[in-house]
Amino acid sequence: MSDKNYAHPEALVSTEWVADHLADSHLRIVESNEDILLYDTGHIQGAVHIDWRSDLQDQTIRDYITPQQFAALCERNGISNDTTVVFYGDKSNWWACYALWVFRLFGHTKVKIMDGGRDKWVAEGRHLTRAVPHFAHGHYTAPEIRCDAEIRAFYDQALAQSRAGMSLIDVRSPAEFRGEVTHMPEYPQEGVLRGGHIPGAASVPWKMAVKDDSTFKSVNELRQIYEDEAGLQPGQDVIAYCRIGERSSHTWFVLTYLLGYKNVRNYDGSWTEWGNKVGAPIERN
Amino acid sequence: MYPGKLSQIISLFEALPDAEKRESLISYAAAASKQGPRDGEAFDLEDIRKDEECTDTVGVFLRVSPERHCAFRVTLGPQVQTLTKAMTAILCKGLDGLTPEEIIDVPADFVPKIVGAELVRQRSQTVYYILTRMKGIARVWLNRERSAAAQGA
Repeated sequence: MSDKNYAHPEALVSTEWVADHLADSHLRIVESNEDILLYDTGHIQGAVHIDWRSDLQDQTIRDYITPQQFAALCERNGISNDTTVVFYGDKSNWWACYALWVFRLFGHTKVKIMDGGRDKWVAEGRHLTRAVPHFAHGHYTAPEIRCDAEIRAFYDQALAQSRAGMSLIDVRSPAEFRGEVTHMPEYPQEGVLRGGHIPGAASVPWKMAVKDDSTFKSVNELRQIYEDEAGLQPGQDVIAYCRIGERSSHTWFVLTYLLGYKNVRNYDGSWTEWGNKVGAPIERN
Repeated sequence: MYPGKLSQIISLFEALPDAEKRESLISYAAAASKQGPRDGEAFDLEDIRKDEECTDTVGVFLRVSPERHCAFRVTLGPQVQTLTKAMTAILCKGLDGLTPEEIIDVPADFVPKIVGAELVRQRSQTVYYILTRMKGIARVWLNRERSAAAQGA
Protein backbone atom coordinates (compact mmCIF):
# COMPACT_ATOMS: atom_id res chain seq x y z
CA MET A 1 0.00 0.00 0.00
CA SER A 2 3.10 2.23 0.02
CA ASP A 3 2.32 3.56 -3.47
CA LYS A 4 -0.47 5.66 -2.01
CA ASN A 5 1.87 7.39 0.49
CA TYR A 6 -0.24 6.70 3.52
CA ALA A 7 1.08 7.78 6.91
CA HIS A 8 0.77 4.22 8.23
CA PRO A 9 0.81 1.99 5.16
CA GLU A 10 1.24 -1.06 7.37
CA ALA A 11 -2.35 -0.62 8.58
CA LEU A 12 -3.81 -1.32 5.17
CA VAL A 13 -3.37 -4.56 3.26
CA SER A 14 -4.64 -5.64 -0.11
CA THR A 15 -6.85 -8.61 -0.89
CA GLU A 16 -3.82 -10.16 -2.59
CA TRP A 17 -1.75 -9.74 0.58
CA VAL A 18 -4.46 -11.45 2.63
CA ALA A 19 -4.69 -14.28 0.11
CA ASP A 20 -0.94 -14.75 0.46
CA HIS A 21 -1.07 -14.80 4.28
CA LEU A 22 -3.95 -17.17 4.95
CA ALA A 23 -1.65 -19.64 6.63
CA ASP A 24 0.19 -17.08 8.77
CA SER A 25 -0.19 -18.30 12.36
CA HIS A 26 0.61 -14.85 13.77
CA LEU A 27 -2.35 -13.40 11.96
CA ARG A 28 -6.05 -13.62 12.62
CA ILE A 29 -8.52 -12.53 9.95
CA VAL A 30 -11.75 -11.09 11.33
CA GLU A 31 -14.94 -10.45 9.36
CA SER A 32 -17.32 -7.83 10.72
CA ASN A 33 -20.50 -7.01 8.85
CA GLU A 34 -23.73 -5.16 8.95
CA ASP A 35 -25.48 -8.09 7.24
CA ILE A 36 -25.78 -10.34 10.24
CA LEU A 37 -25.82 -13.61 8.29
CA LEU A 38 -23.30 -12.74 5.61
CA TYR A 39 -20.38 -14.49 7.30
CA ASP A 40 -22.46 -17.67 7.49
CA THR A 41 -23.01 -17.64 3.73
CA GLY A 42 -19.26 -17.77 3.10
CA HIS A 43 -16.09 -16.03 4.28
CA ILE A 44 -12.36 -15.93 3.73
CA GLN A 45 -10.72 -19.18 4.71
CA GLY A 46 -9.66 -19.02 8.35
CA ALA A 47 -11.62 -15.85 9.09
CA VAL A 48 -13.50 -15.63 12.36
CA HIS A 49 -16.65 -13.60 12.82
CA ILE A 50 -16.84 -10.77 15.32
CA ASP A 51 -20.20 -9.07 15.50
CA TRP A 52 -20.32 -5.39 16.40
CA ARG A 53 -23.44 -5.81 18.47
CA SER A 54 -23.35 -9.19 20.15
CA ASP A 55 -19.57 -9.47 20.59
CA LEU A 56 -18.26 -5.93 21.07
CA GLN A 57 -21.10 -4.19 22.89
CA ASP A 58 -22.50 -4.63 26.35
CA GLN A 59 -25.81 -6.42 25.94
CA THR A 60 -27.72 -4.20 28.35
CA ILE A 61 -26.39 -0.66 28.41
CA ARG A 62 -25.15 1.32 25.42
CA ASP A 63 -21.44 0.80 25.87
CA TYR A 64 -18.69 -1.63 25.05
CA ILE A 65 -17.66 -4.83 26.73
CA THR A 66 -15.27 -4.78 29.67
CA PRO A 67 -11.53 -5.45 29.32
CA GLN A 68 -12.07 -8.91 30.77
CA GLN A 69 -14.82 -9.66 28.27
CA PHE A 70 -12.61 -8.37 25.47
CA ALA A 71 -9.79 -10.67 26.56
CA ALA A 72 -12.20 -13.61 26.62
CA LEU A 73 -13.50 -12.69 23.15
CA CYS A 74 -9.98 -12.61 21.80
CA GLU A 75 -8.98 -15.86 23.44
CA ARG A 76 -11.93 -17.81 22.08
CA ASN A 77 -11.08 -16.50 18.61
CA GLY A 78 -7.46 -17.56 18.94
CA ILE A 79 -6.19 -14.02 19.36
CA SER A 80 -3.36 -13.27 21.76
CA ASN A 81 -1.90 -9.90 22.72
CA ASP A 82 0.73 -10.17 20.01
CA THR A 83 -1.58 -11.43 17.24
CA THR A 84 -1.96 -9.18 14.22
CA VAL A 85 -5.63 -8.83 13.42
CA VAL A 86 -6.78 -8.09 9.88
CA PHE A 87 -10.35 -6.82 9.63
CA TYR A 88 -12.62 -6.85 6.61
CA GLY A 89 -16.35 -6.71 6.03
CA ASP A 90 -19.30 -5.50 4.03
CA LYS A 91 -20.39 -1.90 3.42
CA SER A 92 -16.94 -0.73 2.38
CA ASN A 93 -15.50 -1.88 5.71
CA TRP A 94 -17.71 0.24 7.97
CA TRP A 95 -17.95 -2.46 10.59
CA ALA A 96 -14.42 -3.69 10.03
CA CYS A 97 -13.19 -0.18 10.89
CA TYR A 98 -15.59 -0.11 13.82
CA ALA A 99 -14.24 -3.42 15.13
CA LEU A 100 -10.68 -2.21 14.61
CA TRP A 101 -11.50 0.96 16.54
CA VAL A 102 -12.95 -1.11 19.40
CA PHE A 103 -9.82 -3.26 19.42
CA ARG A 104 -7.81 -0.05 19.75
CA LEU A 105 -10.02 0.97 22.68
CA PHE A 106 -8.56 -2.05 24.42
CA GLY A 107 -5.02 -1.19 23.43
CA HIS A 108 -4.66 -3.78 20.68
CA THR A 109 -2.45 -1.94 18.20
CA LYS A 110 -1.49 -4.74 15.81
CA VAL A 111 -4.44 -4.14 13.52
CA LYS A 112 -4.97 -3.85 9.79
CA ILE A 113 -7.81 -3.32 7.35
CA MET A 114 -8.16 -5.27 4.11
CA ASP A 115 -8.58 -2.53 1.53
CA GLY A 116 -11.82 -2.81 -0.42
CA GLY A 117 -13.35 -5.19 2.12
CA ARG A 118 -15.48 -8.17 1.37
CA ASP A 119 -16.94 -6.74 -1.81
CA LYS A 120 -13.52 -6.47 -3.43
CA TRP A 121 -12.56 -9.99 -2.38
CA VAL A 122 -15.78 -11.32 -3.92
CA ALA A 123 -15.50 -9.14 -7.02
CA GLU A 124 -12.07 -10.61 -7.65
CA GLY A 125 -13.55 -14.08 -7.59
CA ARG A 126 -11.50 -15.13 -4.60
CA HIS A 127 -12.42 -18.21 -2.63
CA LEU A 128 -15.02 -18.15 0.14
CA THR A 129 -15.72 -21.02 2.48
CA ARG A 130 -18.53 -21.87 4.86
CA ALA A 131 -16.18 -23.83 7.11
CA VAL A 132 -15.95 -22.12 10.48
CA PRO A 133 -12.37 -22.29 11.74
CA HIS A 134 -11.51 -23.44 15.23
CA PHE A 135 -8.30 -22.16 16.73
CA ALA A 136 -6.55 -23.03 19.93
CA HIS A 137 -7.46 -20.49 22.59
CA GLY A 138 -5.24 -17.45 22.62
CA HIS A 139 -3.56 -16.06 25.70
CA TYR A 140 -4.80 -12.56 26.24
CA THR A 141 -3.92 -10.41 29.19
CA ALA A 142 -6.76 -8.01 29.66
CA PRO A 143 -5.82 -4.34 29.68
CA GLU A 144 -6.43 -2.60 32.97
CA ILE A 145 -8.75 -0.07 31.42
CA ARG A 146 -10.42 0.68 28.13
CA CYS A 147 -8.62 3.56 26.42
CA ASP A 148 -11.75 5.67 26.01
CA ALA A 149 -9.90 8.91 26.65
CA GLU A 150 -7.61 8.56 23.64
CA ILE A 151 -9.84 7.73 20.70
CA ARG A 152 -13.42 7.97 21.95
CA ALA A 153 -15.45 11.12 22.49
CA PHE A 154 -18.56 11.49 24.61
CA TYR A 155 -21.40 13.98 24.41
CA ASP A 156 -19.85 16.52 26.77
CA GLN A 157 -16.59 16.45 24.86
CA ALA A 158 -18.32 16.86 21.52
CA LEU A 159 -20.29 19.76 22.99
CA ALA A 160 -17.10 21.38 24.29
CA GLN A 161 -15.49 20.86 20.89
CA SER A 162 -18.44 22.57 19.24
CA ARG A 163 -18.47 25.51 21.67
CA ALA A 164 -14.73 25.99 21.27
CA GLY A 165 -15.02 26.09 17.50
CA MET A 166 -12.76 23.06 17.17
CA SER A 167 -12.93 20.49 14.41
CA LEU A 168 -15.98 18.29 14.17
CA ILE A 169 -16.57 16.11 11.15
CA ASP A 170 -20.08 14.90 10.37
CA VAL A 171 -19.69 11.91 8.06
CA ARG A 172 -23.37 11.24 7.42
CA SER A 173 -25.12 11.88 4.13
CA PRO A 174 -25.69 15.53 3.16
CA ALA A 175 -29.46 15.19 3.70
CA GLU A 176 -28.90 13.92 7.24
CA PHE A 177 -26.45 16.75 7.89
CA ARG A 178 -28.96 19.34 6.70
CA GLY A 179 -31.64 17.81 8.91
CA GLU A 180 -33.88 16.95 5.98
CA VAL A 181 -34.00 13.30 7.03
CA THR A 182 -33.35 11.56 10.33
CA HIS A 183 -32.14 8.30 8.86
CA MET A 184 -29.54 7.50 6.28
CA PRO A 185 -30.69 6.76 2.75
CA GLU A 186 -31.96 3.20 2.29
CA TYR A 187 -32.10 2.53 6.01
CA PRO A 188 -34.92 2.40 8.52
CA GLN A 189 -35.34 5.07 11.14
CA GLU A 190 -33.10 4.32 14.11
CA GLY A 191 -34.99 6.46 16.53
CA VAL A 192 -33.91 10.08 16.41
CA LEU A 193 -36.28 12.85 17.37
CA ARG A 194 -34.46 15.83 15.85
CA GLY A 195 -32.55 16.29 12.61
CA GLY A 196 -29.58 18.51 11.82
CA HIS A 197 -25.96 18.54 12.93
CA ILE A 198 -23.70 19.60 15.77
CA PRO A 199 -23.08 23.35 15.48
CA GLY A 200 -19.84 24.04 13.68
CA ALA A 201 -19.45 20.54 12.24
CA ALA A 202 -18.17 20.19 8.69
CA SER A 203 -19.96 17.78 6.40
CA VAL A 204 -17.62 15.21 4.90
CA PRO A 205 -19.63 12.07 4.06
CA TRP A 206 -17.59 8.93 4.77
CA LYS A 207 -17.96 7.85 1.15
CA MET A 208 -15.73 10.69 -0.01
CA ALA A 209 -12.77 8.64 1.22
CA VAL A 210 -13.30 5.63 -1.01
CA LYS A 211 -13.34 4.79 -4.68
CA ASP A 212 -16.07 2.87 -6.46
CA ASP A 213 -14.43 -0.44 -5.56
CA SER A 214 -14.48 0.54 -1.85
CA THR A 215 -10.69 0.92 -1.67
CA PHE A 216 -9.35 4.05 -0.06
CA LYS A 217 -8.31 7.03 -2.14
CA SER A 218 -4.70 8.17 -2.25
CA VAL A 219 -3.19 10.50 0.33
CA ASN A 220 -3.29 13.43 -2.07
CA GLU A 221 -6.95 12.89 -2.78
CA LEU A 222 -7.72 12.49 0.92
CA ARG A 223 -5.78 15.65 1.82
CA GLN A 224 -7.76 17.58 -0.73
CA ILE A 225 -11.03 16.34 0.77
CA TYR A 226 -10.25 16.70 4.45
CA GLU A 227 -7.77 19.58 4.45
CA ASP A 228 -8.30 21.74 1.37
CA GLU A 229 -12.08 21.40 1.33
CA ALA A 230 -13.07 20.65 4.95
CA GLY A 231 -10.34 22.71 6.56
CA LEU A 232 -8.76 20.12 8.84
CA GLN A 233 -5.09 20.46 9.72
CA PRO A 234 -2.71 17.75 10.93
CA GLY A 235 -2.18 18.12 14.66
CA GLN A 236 -5.69 19.38 15.33
CA ASP A 237 -8.03 17.65 17.74
CA VAL A 238 -10.77 16.18 15.58
CA ILE A 239 -14.01 14.48 16.55
CA ALA A 240 -15.91 12.47 13.94
CA TYR A 241 -19.49 11.32 14.27
CA CYS A 242 -22.34 9.73 12.30
CA ARG A 243 -25.48 8.03 13.67
CA ILE A 244 -24.14 5.21 15.82
CA GLY A 245 -20.41 5.38 15.26
CA GLU A 246 -19.69 2.93 12.47
CA ARG A 247 -19.34 5.31 9.51
CA SER A 248 -17.33 7.65 11.71
CA SER A 249 -15.05 4.73 12.61
CA HIS A 250 -14.31 4.54 8.90
CA THR A 251 -13.38 8.23 8.82
CA TRP A 252 -11.46 7.85 12.09
CA PHE A 253 -9.38 5.15 10.38
CA VAL A 254 -8.76 7.41 7.38
CA LEU A 255 -7.65 10.37 9.47
CA THR A 256 -5.61 8.31 11.94
CA TYR A 257 -3.90 5.73 9.77
CA LEU A 258 -3.96 7.08 6.25
CA LEU A 259 -3.41 10.77 6.94
CA GLY A 260 -1.54 10.31 10.21
CA TYR A 261 -3.58 12.59 12.46
CA LYS A 262 -2.70 11.91 16.07
CA ASN A 263 -5.69 13.28 17.94
CA VAL A 264 -8.82 11.94 16.34
CA ARG A 265 -11.70 10.70 18.43
CA ASN A 266 -14.84 8.86 17.37
CA TYR A 267 -18.02 10.14 19.00
CA ASP A 268 -19.86 6.81 18.90
CA GLY A 269 -22.91 8.17 20.71
CA SER A 270 -23.26 10.17 17.51
CA TRP A 271 -26.54 11.51 16.22
CA THR A 272 -28.71 8.91 17.91
CA GLU A 273 -27.52 10.43 21.20
CA TRP A 274 -27.22 14.07 20.16
CA GLY A 275 -30.51 14.24 18.24
CA ASN A 276 -32.42 12.79 21.18
CA LYS A 277 -30.76 14.71 23.99
CA VAL A 278 -32.89 17.36 25.62
CA GLY A 279 -31.34 20.77 25.14
CA ALA A 280 -28.55 19.70 22.79
CA PRO A 281 -27.83 22.57 20.37
CA ILE A 282 -28.59 21.77 16.74
CA GLU A 283 -27.74 23.58 13.55
CA ARG A 284 -29.57 23.14 10.26
CA ASN A 285 -28.38 24.45 6.95
CA MET B 1 -53.34 -17.72 13.78
CA TYR B 2 -51.06 -17.91 10.72
CA PRO B 3 -52.24 -19.33 7.41
CA GLY B 4 -51.37 -22.85 6.20
CA LYS B 5 -47.85 -23.21 4.88
CA LEU B 6 -46.55 -20.18 6.73
CA SER B 7 -47.76 -21.68 10.00
CA GLN B 8 -45.80 -24.85 9.26
CA ILE B 9 -42.64 -22.90 8.52
CA ILE B 10 -43.02 -20.88 11.72
CA SER B 11 -43.54 -24.04 13.79
CA LEU B 12 -40.46 -25.59 12.24
CA PHE B 13 -38.29 -22.57 13.00
CA GLU B 14 -39.60 -22.26 16.55
CA ALA B 15 -38.53 -25.83 17.22
CA LEU B 16 -35.01 -25.33 15.92
CA PRO B 17 -32.01 -24.53 18.09
CA ASP B 18 -30.28 -21.25 17.16
CA ALA B 19 -27.51 -22.83 15.10
CA GLU B 20 -29.94 -24.81 12.97
CA LYS B 21 -32.20 -21.78 12.69
CA ARG B 22 -29.30 -19.84 11.19
CA GLU B 23 -28.52 -22.71 8.86
CA SER B 24 -32.13 -22.85 7.69
CA LEU B 25 -32.15 -19.12 7.09
CA ILE B 26 -29.01 -19.46 4.98
CA SER B 27 -30.70 -22.21 2.95
CA TYR B 28 -33.77 -20.09 2.40
CA ALA B 29 -31.57 -17.11 1.48
CA ALA B 30 -29.80 -19.25 -1.11
CA ALA B 31 -33.20 -20.17 -2.53
CA ALA B 32 -34.18 -16.52 -2.94
CA SER B 33 -32.58 -16.32 -6.36
CA LYS B 34 -34.98 -19.02 -7.55
CA GLN B 35 -38.08 -17.04 -6.60
CA GLY B 36 -38.05 -14.85 -9.70
CA PRO B 37 -40.38 -15.22 -12.69
CA ARG B 38 -39.79 -18.25 -14.87
CA ASP B 39 -39.83 -18.32 -18.65
CA GLY B 40 -43.33 -18.04 -20.05
CA GLU B 41 -45.02 -17.06 -16.80
CA ALA B 42 -47.66 -14.37 -16.98
CA PHE B 43 -48.77 -12.21 -14.08
CA ASP B 44 -51.78 -10.15 -13.14
CA LEU B 45 -49.59 -7.49 -11.55
CA GLU B 46 -45.91 -6.59 -11.56
CA ASP B 47 -44.34 -4.05 -9.25
CA ILE B 48 -40.61 -3.44 -9.64
CA ARG B 49 -39.14 -0.53 -7.76
CA LYS B 50 -36.39 0.79 -5.53
CA ASP B 51 -37.80 2.21 -2.31
CA GLU B 52 -36.05 4.48 0.13
CA GLU B 53 -36.28 1.97 2.95
CA CYS B 54 -34.64 -0.93 1.12
CA THR B 55 -31.03 -1.16 -0.05
CA ASP B 56 -31.83 -2.36 -3.55
CA THR B 57 -34.52 -2.87 -6.15
CA VAL B 58 -37.23 -5.40 -5.38
CA GLY B 59 -39.66 -6.77 -7.96
CA VAL B 60 -42.90 -8.38 -6.82
CA PHE B 61 -45.00 -10.36 -9.32
CA LEU B 62 -48.48 -11.62 -8.52
CA ARG B 63 -50.65 -14.13 -10.29
CA VAL B 64 -54.15 -14.90 -8.96
CA SER B 65 -55.90 -18.04 -10.17
CA PRO B 66 -59.61 -18.16 -11.05
CA GLU B 67 -60.08 -19.71 -7.59
CA ARG B 68 -58.44 -16.57 -6.20
CA HIS B 69 -55.28 -18.35 -5.05
CA CYS B 70 -52.18 -16.14 -5.09
CA ALA B 71 -48.76 -17.10 -6.40
CA PHE B 72 -45.82 -14.75 -5.89
CA ARG B 73 -42.52 -14.33 -7.64
CA VAL B 74 -39.92 -11.93 -6.29
CA THR B 75 -36.68 -10.57 -7.71
CA LEU B 76 -34.04 -8.96 -5.47
CA GLY B 77 -31.15 -6.66 -6.27
CA PRO B 78 -27.68 -7.84 -5.22
CA GLN B 79 -27.38 -5.46 -2.26
CA VAL B 80 -30.34 -6.94 -0.40
CA GLN B 81 -29.29 -8.41 2.95
CA THR B 82 -29.24 -12.13 3.68
CA LEU B 83 -32.14 -12.03 6.12
CA THR B 84 -34.31 -10.25 3.60
CA LYS B 85 -33.38 -12.85 1.00
CA ALA B 86 -34.35 -15.61 3.42
CA MET B 87 -37.65 -13.95 4.22
CA THR B 88 -38.38 -13.65 0.51
CA ALA B 89 -38.08 -17.39 -0.05
CA ILE B 90 -40.06 -18.09 3.13
CA LEU B 91 -42.88 -15.79 2.12
CA CYS B 92 -43.07 -17.04 -1.47
CA LYS B 93 -43.52 -20.53 -0.08
CA GLY B 94 -45.54 -19.67 3.01
CA LEU B 95 -48.10 -17.43 1.33
CA ASP B 96 -48.51 -19.54 -1.79
CA GLY B 97 -52.14 -20.37 -2.46
CA LEU B 98 -53.67 -17.84 -0.08
CA THR B 99 -56.38 -15.45 -1.20
CA PRO B 100 -55.55 -11.74 -1.50
CA GLU B 101 -57.65 -11.08 1.59
CA GLU B 102 -55.69 -13.65 3.57
CA ILE B 103 -52.41 -12.13 2.40
CA ILE B 104 -53.47 -8.70 3.65
CA ASP B 105 -54.47 -10.17 7.01
CA VAL B 106 -51.18 -11.95 7.70
CA PRO B 107 -49.82 -10.40 10.92
CA ALA B 108 -46.16 -9.35 10.76
CA ASP B 109 -45.40 -10.60 14.26
CA PHE B 110 -44.25 -13.97 12.94
CA VAL B 111 -40.92 -12.51 11.82
CA PRO B 112 -39.14 -12.73 15.20
CA LYS B 113 -40.48 -16.28 15.58
CA ILE B 114 -38.62 -17.27 12.43
CA VAL B 115 -35.58 -15.04 12.64
CA GLY B 116 -35.07 -15.25 16.39
CA ALA B 117 -34.62 -12.35 18.76
CA GLU B 118 -30.85 -12.18 18.32
CA LEU B 119 -31.07 -11.46 14.62
CA VAL B 120 -33.87 -8.89 14.76
CA ARG B 121 -32.14 -5.54 14.85
CA GLN B 122 -32.90 -2.00 13.98
CA ARG B 123 -30.97 -2.35 10.75
CA SER B 124 -32.52 -5.66 9.80
CA GLN B 125 -36.01 -4.23 9.77
CA THR B 126 -36.16 -4.68 6.00
CA VAL B 127 -37.12 -8.29 6.72
CA TYR B 128 -40.60 -6.81 7.06
CA TYR B 129 -40.32 -4.97 3.78
CA ILE B 130 -40.99 -7.94 1.48
CA LEU B 131 -44.20 -8.78 3.35
CA THR B 132 -45.28 -5.15 3.06
CA ARG B 133 -44.68 -5.23 -0.68
CA MET B 134 -46.64 -8.49 -1.05
CA LYS B 135 -49.54 -7.08 0.92
CA GLY B 136 -49.39 -3.94 -1.19
CA ILE B 137 -49.67 -5.75 -4.49
CA ALA B 138 -52.46 -7.96 -3.11
CA ARG B 139 -54.31 -4.82 -2.09
CA VAL B 140 -53.94 -3.35 -5.57
CA TRP B 141 -55.28 -6.57 -7.08
CA LEU B 142 -58.28 -6.47 -4.74
CA ASN B 143 -59.01 -2.85 -5.56
CA ARG B 144 -58.95 -3.65 -9.25
CA GLU B 145 -61.24 -6.63 -8.71
CA ARG B 146 -63.69 -4.45 -6.80
CA SER B 147 -63.47 -1.75 -9.42
CA ALA B 148 -64.14 -4.26 -12.20
CA ALA B 149 -67.08 -5.70 -10.24
CA ALA B 150 -68.52 -2.22 -9.72
CA GLN B 151 -68.24 -1.43 -13.41
CA GLY B 152 -69.89 -4.72 -14.31
CA ALA B 153 -72.78 -4.22 -11.89
